[in-house]
Amino acid sequence: MRPPRGSFLVILALGVVALAIYPAYGTGYGVRAMLQMFMWIALAGSWNLISGLTGYVSFGHVAFFGVGAYAGAILITTHGWAWPLAALAGGVAACLLALVIGYPCLRLKGPYFAIAMLGLNEVLRALVSYFEGLTGGGNGLSLPTLDASRAIYYVMGGLALAVTGVTYAILTSRFGLRLMTIREDEIAAEAMGIDTFRHKLAAFLLSAVGPGIAGALTARDQGYIEPISVFPLVVTVTMIVMVLFGGKGTVWGPVLGAVALFVIQEIVWARYPYVHPLLFGAIIVAVVLLMPRGVLGLLQLRYRLPRTI
Amino acid sequence: MAVLVVEDIRKSFGGVAAVNGVSFALEARRIYGLIGPNGSGKTTLFNCITGLERRDAGRVTFKGERIDHLKPSQVANRGVGRTFQVIRVFPELTALENLLVVTRGPRADAERRGREMLEFVKLERLAGEYAGNLSYGQQKLVEFVRVLMTDPALILLDEPAAGVNRTLLNDLLVAVTRLRDEGRTILLVEHDMKVVMGLCETVFVLDHGEKIAEGPPGVIQADERVVEAYFGR
Repeated sequence: MRPPRGSFLVILALGVVALAIYPAYGTGYGVRAMLQMFMWIALAGSWNLISGLTGYVSFGHVAFFGVGAYAGAILITTHGWAWPLAALAGGVAACLLALVIGYPCLRLKGPYFAIAMLGLNEVLRALVSYFEGLTGGGNGLSLPTLDASRAIYYVMGGLALAVTGVTYAILTSRFGLRLMTIREDEIAAEAMGIDTFRHKLAAFLLSAVGPGIAGALTARDQGYIEPISVFPLVVTVTMIVMVLFGGKGTVWGPVLGAVALFVIQEIVWARYPYVHPLLFGAIIVAVVLLMPRGVLGLLQLRYRLPRTI
Repeated sequence: MAVLVVEDIRKSFGGVAAVNGVSFALEARRIYGLIGPNGSGKTTLFNCITGLERRDAGRVTFKGERIDHLKPSQVANRGVGRTFQVIRVFPELTALENLLVVTRGPRADAERRGREMLEFVKLERLAGEYAGNLSYGQQKLVEFVRVLMTDPALILLDEPAAGVNRTLLNDLLVAVTRLRDEGRTILLVEHDMKVVMGLCETVFVLDHGEKIAEGPPGVIQADERVVEAYFGR
């Protein structure tokens, strides 16, 4: 059984239109909240490409977000770049980092890759703190005042849409199938003539672009960044939990996970700030124990749905 | 001209010499068997040929080109296909997708070829089923046709008969013979002596990482050293 494709596309289009006109009516807080939700969709979707699809679990993905944030913020403050251009540069910077890091790290397997990525994030945070001249060090970096939240809302929304669209395109292609063979059995994939290293590197680069752009956009939107605010481990953990909750290796799993957890987080955080980490921990444990494939993964298996859900 | 030439291959793990100076040559359009007791180095030799293990010394030449320094994917793309002793299908890909991953060119053509392959081993009904849900024998067949999808000139089969029932086995033997008739070369590791003796034109015998005999099955069966390696003195 498959849900009719036409009606799904109609709902999707209506949703996009509704989100597009929302800023005209929404409150400042509402627009900010939605913008953040888009950011989480972009982050979770990007993590899904390398970790959910290709099976290389990254525990340091926020590093790309942080590098994008610093690249964007530096270009805006010291070189006077327009923020949309700086956002693109954030994506390029993250991509370059992925290229440099990917060569050694993607040769590592399983937990070693995860730990190397974790280490990368810590190293970057230390480096950013150390090079004060460029980054402001521990004092952080203040961007010139500019209220562009509504414009950034659209760009971040476009980014979320793009990441999801790219995921769809990959999942329905043979390139995507080859990425999955790496997750399933890398040795067999290699023996079948699939150049696993090049495929992994491509997936890794793709998974870095989104966070890089999102980082630069976030830096512009918040107007101030510091090492702790753009390299926090908890952001990586949140991406992971979102994808695991929604369903790794699917198109809509990261979207569902990002939206559901973001909404829950906002509600709980606003009312019971101390319960928030507890709840997050509980969700991690529940997902891992009860539905390791996430909501959509479960539905996919039970109702034999395609991965493009 | 020989399709594959293996010269003085050596591979040690720690202090254990798994393969200790093995040489042989395979001619095109023939079926070869590689036998030997457990731990005699058969699978390690396969791995050295296909690039999954880097040999310590020696040369592997395929169609006149050295391949012993290449990555496994490069070896595969030059026309050396293999199966594994332990099944290695991609469990969360469907049977058809398992075949599609190795294809290039237009997708529709690839799918048609994939379905033909599944038909060839009578699995067309299960094309959309996750490979992990198939039975052991069915997975073995998927793995077998997945190699064929790469159109290899040389096929290395690691225990194709293990755990396969008699009917399926006969189909498999017919298929291997057909591949040979198409002009391909086959080298198989097998413990089932009936399969080896019935199928192979030349048999190599390994013991403790060394080749102790080579010849037609009938001669090998009577070879004193072979009997000794298998059953002891």
